[in-house]
Amino acid sequence: MSTVTLERLTKVYANGVVAVADLDLRVDDGEFVVIVGPSGCGKTTALRMVAGLEEITSGTLRFGDRVVNDVSPRERDVAMVFQNYALYPHLSVHQNIGFSLGNRKVPKPERDAKVREAAAVLGLTEMLDRKPRQLSGGQRQRVAMGRAIVREPSVFLMDEPLSNLDAKLRVQMRSEVLRVHRKIGAAALYVTHDQTEAMTMGDRVAVLRDGVLQQVSGPRELYETPTNVFVATFIGSPSMNLYEASLEGSTDASGDATVVLGSQRLALPAEVLKQRPQLAAFLGRGLIVGIRPEHLSDPAFSPVPPEAGHSLTADVDYVEVLGSEQLVHFTIDARRVREESELREQPGTAAEQGEIVAASVSEGVARVDPRSAIRAHGRAVLGVDTERLHFFDPDTGDAISSSGAATAAVLPGASGAAPAPGTSEPSGAGASASSG
Amino acid sequence: MNAVTVIRSGRPVEQAAPPLPPAEPQRRGRRRRSRADETEDIPVAYYGLRRGTVAGITACCVVFAIFTLIPIVWIIINSTKTQANLFETFGFWFAAPIVLGRNFSLLFQNVDGYGTYFQWFANTALYAILGGCGATALAALAGYGFARFSFRGSKVLFYFVIAALLVPVTAITLPLYLTYAKIGLINSIWGMILPSMVSPVGVYLMKVFVEVSVPRELIDAARLDGASELRIFFRLALPLMVPGLMTVLLLSIVGVWNNYFLPLIIFSQNQLYPLTVGLGLWSQRAQNSGNAELFPLVVIGGLVTIIPLIALFLVLQRYWRSGLLLGSIAN
Repeated sequence: MSTVTLERLTKVYANGVVAVADLDLRVDDGEFVVIVGPSGCGKTTALRMVAGLEEITSGTLRFGDRVVNDVSPRERDVAMVFQNYALYPHLSVHQNIGFSLGNRKVPKPERDAKVREAAAVLGLTEMLDRKPRQLSGGQRQRVAMGRAIVREPSVFLMDEPLSNLDAKLRVQMRSEVLRVHRKIGAAALYVTHDQTEAMTMGDRVAVLRDGVLQQVSGPRELYETPTNVFVATFIGSPSMNLYEASLEGSTDASGDATVVLGSQRLALPAEVLKQRPQLAAFLGRGLIVGIRPEHLSDPAFSPVPPEAGHSLTADVDYVEVLGSEQLVHFTIDARRVREESELREQPGTAAEQGEIVAASVSEGVARVDPRSAIRAHGRAVLGVDTERLHFFDPDTGDAISSSGAATAAVLPGASGAAPAPGTSEPSGAGASASSG
Repeated sequence: MNAVTVIRSGRPVEQAAPPLPPAEPQRRGRRRRSRADETEDIPVAYYGLRRGTVAGITACCVVFAIFTLIPIVWIIINSTKTQANLFETFGFWFAAPIVLGRNFSLLFQNVDGYGTYFQWFANTALYAILGGCGATALAALAGYGFARFSFRGSKVLFYFVIAALLVPVTAITLPLYLTYAKIGLINSIWGMILPSMVSPVGVYLMKVFVEVSVPRELIDAARLDGASELRIFFRLALPLMVPGLMTVLLLSIVGVWNNYFLPLIIFSQNQLYPLTVGLGLWSQRAQNSGNAELFPLVVIGGLVTIIPLIALFLVLQRYWRSGLLLGSIAN
């Protein structure tokens, strides 16, 4: 049992490709940290460096106080669940799970007892004599888990362990993995490309992009205060609507400001400006405004009709009826920002952007009440929760936040006893968020 | 797992333990075979070829098959003939008297005073088994090493293997002879066995085979599980390499079994000869030294020589099966 500390961990391949750059991350004993990012972002490389399967180019890796950079994988006391299970095909389930114990010369009776215990935890008792090929996908996944937990490792690594399961089983196995993790209590590092998996499983979530850490925080904080455009779009489904806009209004603190979004205007209450003093610097300039789909609503279902400046009129393209909600896909005449990379490619001056904004039309998604009568090919008024708008600097893609400190990383929850998502305390320790 | 009650279309359905996939190996085997048949049996009409093309290709194959089988048919037919009939009757049909049994027994008798055929046969078997097994073991180790370890110079070394692949054994035989003369390996069985144990083709085949059949993840998993490299090789990699090993074993044994030039120049003692050199000797004596009674023995000796190889092929065939990795790696 130990804390895993990654300090400026870097991996540069022989061909010069930087897979992971200066990764700072800490996983406490008993904590479940998820590394999430699009494919090819270096998350698996990071995990393999922790496992010892990939050489560390620079940086320090510590288990507890011990630097393990040069410790061979078989001496690191690390268990790993592979994306494709990597079961030993000609060994039975019992032998698969007990393989590591055999390597450590654990006496047979004790080995058998431990294997049976692990199998019981995973519901594999009846399968112990089977070969992997006689198991279903979910059962194979369990064997892979069993192989990892039977040794009571100090560090538990998982590389997209659920990605080969069908959707339903995946949801089921999520809670299973967490249950097993709670039972063994080791520091767990879990890699996935699925933001839903990251949000639902992680005590904390680290968002990686092109090998660079973007943000580490609890799932709720990640969702509510993304540090930059990339995190904002990557976390949440459907993802945040991002538009290029400009901010107009009085500079004195009492006055309201207006967000100009294409031909429409959104009133920004004075409190919002007060909460985020940095916004004042963008008065009269362009910025990126982000609206989560759930902060757009059908006014027919709000108790009071939206005031002027708290709604958008949009052309509805189509409506997805999901039963519990409806997703309204609409277009408005503001330029949409999809990703940081897209943003970077554009010329930066406000005047140019203004022209583009005026000319272009772009789509968005709103999550509205399932009883909403909004239908496709019409025009709809959508209420906007203007207090929950997100703002980003168009030059850097960073969030324009209340203060610089809020974007810093957070410490893990107080103890290993599964802290509720989002309750972790902000602190300067551990990882630092960086711009893209 | 406990029994769970599942509500299905309003009616409770009792569901016992989770449904188990059938486990009896026989049934599985049969089903797998039938599925394989289904995938293989694509009607010719669906190949997208013209009818004439298919017929043409088939005809070519038939001609080639006949061409390949003719010598074997000839040797089977003529091994039943007497010395006189060997020269006087039509080569591709039987002629009375059928003396296969007599020829066969003569082969193992002291036909030319030494009782040598049996000795040669044993020699050949010894060289082939030692050389073949040695070549297979070395190829397994080297191939696994090349495929799954990257060490300094591994690429250059592998290029050397490829280069060696291009050099025919015949070409290195003379240099070998000169070396042997210096270190005293002339007329030593090791002079025959040692070069037979080095098989560049085997190393190459094993490298390629390991690359596709022993996944890196499996080795990684075993390392994390604390297994030593030797244990990984013997316990995990080797069972997965069996089909490849059998291929290399067969190729090397056949190679040694049929090797003529190397034993011809390094052995000068009759009791060390393998079958190839021995039969060559008989053949020469039959033609040049007036020992015409040796002709039928050369023929049946040739037939007996190829029988063990056919048997070996049939025995090893059962190891060429796919699906060893089934269940290990999810696509």
